[in-house]
Amino acid sequence: MDLFTAIFSPKLMSQILVGLSRTVILFIVASGLSLILGVLRIPNIWHGSLYMVGAFMTFTISGAFGGGSMGFWMALILAPISVALVSLIAERSFFQHLYEREHLMLLLLTFAFSLVFGDLVKMVWGLEYKSVPVPRVFQGSVHLFGGLPFPIYNVFLLAIGPVVAIALWIIVNKTKIGKISRAAAVDREMVGAVGINVSWVFAFVFMIGCLLAGLGGALVAPTVNVSLGMDHTLIMEAFLIVIIGGLGNVWGALVGALIFGLAQSLGILIWPQFGIVFPYAAVIIVLLLRPTGLLKSTW
Amino acid sequence: MKKAIYLSVFMVGLLGLSLFSTSSYGGNTIKVGIVDTYSGPPATMSQDILDAFKLVVNEINAKGGVLGKKIEFVTRDEKFKPDIGLAMAKELVLKENVDLLMGTISSSTALAVSDFAKKEKIPFLVTNSRTEKITGEKGHRYVFGIAENTAMAGRAAAKALSQKPYLKYWIAGDDYEYGHSIAENVWNNLKKLKPGVQLVDQTWWKVGESDFTPYITQIMSAKPDFLIAATGGATMVTFAKAAKATGLVSRVPMYQHTVIDYGIMGPLGMDGPEGVYGTAPYLFYYPDTAANKAYVEAFRKAYGRYPQMFALFGYSAAKFIEKGFQKAGAVDKEKFINALEGMVIDSPVGNLEMRACDHQLQLPMIFGVTKKNPNFKDFLVASDIVMVPSKDFMPTCEEVLKTRK
Amino acid sequence: MSNGIFGGKGRILGVAILVLLFLFPLFLPRFYIYLLSIILLTGLLATSLNFPLGYGGIFQFHHAVFYGVGAYAAALMITKSGLSPWIGFVAGPFAAAFVSLVMGLICIRLSRLYFGMLQISLGSLIWIIVYRWYSFTGGDNGIHGIPLPDVISSSKNAYYFTLIVTLLSLWVLYKIIHSPFGSALQGTRDNPVRSAMIGINVRLHQLVALIIAGFFAGVAGSLFIVVDTTVFPDMLFWTLSLEVLIMCLLGGWFTFLGPMLGAAIIIILRTFISGFTDYWTLPLGLLMMSVIFFLPNGILGYIQEKLYWSPAEHADLVEDDMVQQTAKES
Repeated sequence: MDLFTAIFSPKLMSQILVGLSRTVILFIVASGLSLILGVLRIPNIWHGSLYMVGAFMTFTISGAFGGGSMGFWMALILAPISVALVSLIAERSFFQHLYEREHLMLLLLTFAFSLVFGDLVKMVWGLEYKSVPVPRVFQGSVHLFGGLPFPIYNVFLLAIGPVVAIALWIIVNKTKIGKISRAAAVDREMVGAVGINVSWVFAFVFMIGCLLAGLGGALVAPTVNVSLGMDHTLIMEAFLIVIIGGLGNVWGALVGALIFGLAQSLGILIWPQFGIVFPYAAVIIVLLLRPTGLLKSTW
Repeated sequence: MKKAIYLSVFMVGLLGLSLFSTSSYGGNTIKVGIVDTYSGPPATMSQDILDAFKLVVNEINAKGGVLGKKIEFVTRDEKFKPDIGLAMAKELVLKENVDLLMGTISSSTALAVSDFAKKEKIPFLVTNSRTEKITGEKGHRYVFGIAENTAMAGRAAAKALSQKPYLKYWIAGDDYEYGHSIAENVWNNLKKLKPGVQLVDQTWWKVGESDFTPYITQIMSAKPDFLIAATGGATMVTFAKAAKATGLVSRVPMYQHTVIDYGIMGPLGMDGPEGVYGTAPYLFYYPDTAANKAYVEAFRKAYGRYPQMFALFGYSAAKFIEKGFQKAGAVDKEKFINALEGMVIDSPVGNLEMRACDHQLQLPMIFGVTKKNPNFKDFLVASDIVMVPSKDFMPTCEEVLKTRK
Repeated sequence: MSNGIFGGKGRILGVAILVLLFLFPLFLPRFYIYLLSIILLTGLLATSLNFPLGYGGIFQFHHAVFYGVGAYAAALMITKSGLSPWIGFVAGPFAAAFVSLVMGLICIRLSRLYFGMLQISLGSLIWIIVYRWYSFTGGDNGIHGIPLPDVISSSKNAYYFTLIVTLLSLWVLYKIIHSPFGSALQGTRDNPVRSAMIGINVRLHQLVALIIAGFFAGVAGSLFIVVDTTVFPDMLFWTLSLEVLIMCLLGGWFTFLGPMLGAAIIIILRTFISGFTDYWTLPLGLLMMSVIFFLPNGILGYIQEKLYWSPAEHADLVEDDMVQQTAKES
């Protein structure tokens, strides 16, 4: 009994739960990136900017609707959609002409976009810190294991995570367009030859991926300082998660995010001063053991 | 082929334009070169300094300038990258021929530029970086500290904390020089004043961390009496939200340097954390003197917002430039430096003296605790305010000069 | 590719540029000399990246690590040991080459994207060590005021030193690329399977390429100390790796001097656009977008295409092969 409580101590359980809720945002952003990288083969550095735009749009939209709970819910719906629309415009104007190009040039293009958007956000929203209030119903925390607090908003995130995961899985695996996308990822010409408009399929996938980035930004907004530079913090982590999870694989993104998020929160428990090392160490171990990612990639 | 022609023309044009981008003013100005970070999270603080600086400079220029010359300034955004910051400082000095340098929030850039300023013999006013090394260990004749530094803040806080009953401390913060410096200064001075305090443990997270919940739960489970949170300005808003959401604020009293600043309290609004101790060299609502009120009104009129604490640095820098060159009698760098040593300027918080021995501005420190106040409907303010005069906490000349050996 | 832009009639242009480079300090103001020094060493860094990237087909995503390691090794040796700075400058590249070897041994079993990501993870660990080991490396402040030997301490002499070292390094790299090793390396890029079948040890060639690339990145790091007398942990951060990668792609990664051109363009634009506006990343981004659309082989690649024949066709062949490779490997 003693060993049991030692292993499942309140501190540990609490930390695991916290790690899981952190995972949700990582998963949502990474799954979008995974789709784009897996199906369209675009190393989308712009993804970070879209995450940031999602957060800023949440600030603006929630403010437009009064800033309270109503504002938050409206923002949660409208911000990702607006990000998706922006991405659609970008895709139709620029990206669709370049799918045949070398991957590294696509990386250059998405990097160029992120540079441009970094400055655009500054121009539109200015420099001051912005704060999105947590909706009243999610404020405060519940007291779980050993009386340690767990913010209710994090509970909300833990609930949203599986919802998004299942929704994505249905879209990718069960809908017609999802199946076509997966086929197009492997062999674009064949799919085109069968008479399907591959171009619009790709646009759809790109939009979904970017919508997820915006959704991640919207969800994270009430918990952080909405400021410039948000695009840099997440993008490297998202890429690493996508790689260890398997390209184009939604469940892979989930597994990758879990590993990353849990490694960090457990790492903090074990070695508070160097907690940051653990997620990178975990990535290295995974890549050495399973070089192509944990789950099946689309390419 | 046409595309190529257009592209080449565009590029040649761009490059050509670049080579002609020298300043448009004639030679009859006092030119100030400002390198700072105007993008990313620190930008809002740098902008506060710049806006306050501009306000005073416009006033000065309207009255005819200094020694009959207008003050002209150019800014460069280093985007928090020290190699770019240093390159920009070099550009400002070697190409734009500025008469003095000002800046920057990044301590690594500030130190690198300070080194460069020493070699080039050009005055450098550090208006944003908080590392004590600027006027301490790495201080020299050509660098001046206008912002408060971590040694000053740490000592002031330690003095206040030593009066409180807490014994078991936890230290947490942003894992970079500023965070460690603040924490060390608070802790070492606290230990000297109150030997009974114990350090339970430390937690350090990466700069720009966005999810503090795992760190906070770890701290709370250890149940310390008090938390010293050495967070940088950008992370403070995020940390405050997490602290409130997890209930840390109500369980463990804590201290953060600059948390009471309007720049942090403003964005948080009425959701801000109550009961947090903080220090800051300037608050727009304290002291409630006529001078301060007038200044705040002028700032509001010009920029549509209240000034943060950083405004005081921009203001001071401009005033020192004005009076310094006036006293020097010429746009001469060496005479300017001599003039600044020991100079006193008037400011919204009263007289401020530039200490001659180490070139550090002697700022007072406000110590308060965050609370809701019916007079302020949109954000929390500092209450139970104690204003500690600089001589009560600044390191002495001997102490500072000793570190320079 | 074998002639490059300076083949044939272009040779005169090449000689003219060389002569100009040596004469610049006589009439250019100090700032431009400084800028040129930075361009030269950054160009060297980009060229050293292009060696495994363009010629070896290796996704070297975190090249900045070797640059930073070289710089820090040199800086630490100069400031902490009592030895002459010259030893420090030599120690830098060798330290970088050593780290390159170790990281290469770990990463080499992966390919393409996975290689790149593993390198980023390992590199990030090194960055964390440098950033956090405050007492030894100066942490996030970096190391400042590194003393230089008197003979290279003035900006003019620092420039000449940088120029000579850069030209030498470029010449060595050029020779390596046009040696049997270089041809074999390019063979492994174009078709690893066939190369292996004719007896080339693909992994060994790639590893050696990585070590050479790391070495010259370390040289660039030492040069940075000569020009700026400081080192910062940013030199090891992935954003710098990305920037150097962008320089290669912008300039043309199937050409030898493309990366140097890319470095020059980015640094010049960055320096001078900020004279007009603080929003200097916006025009840079727009420029990059135009280059990608109109000049997919980079600027120099495009110029060479128009003057000679090879790069465009070459690029198509490589593209096809890379797609097939990655499809087979998954």
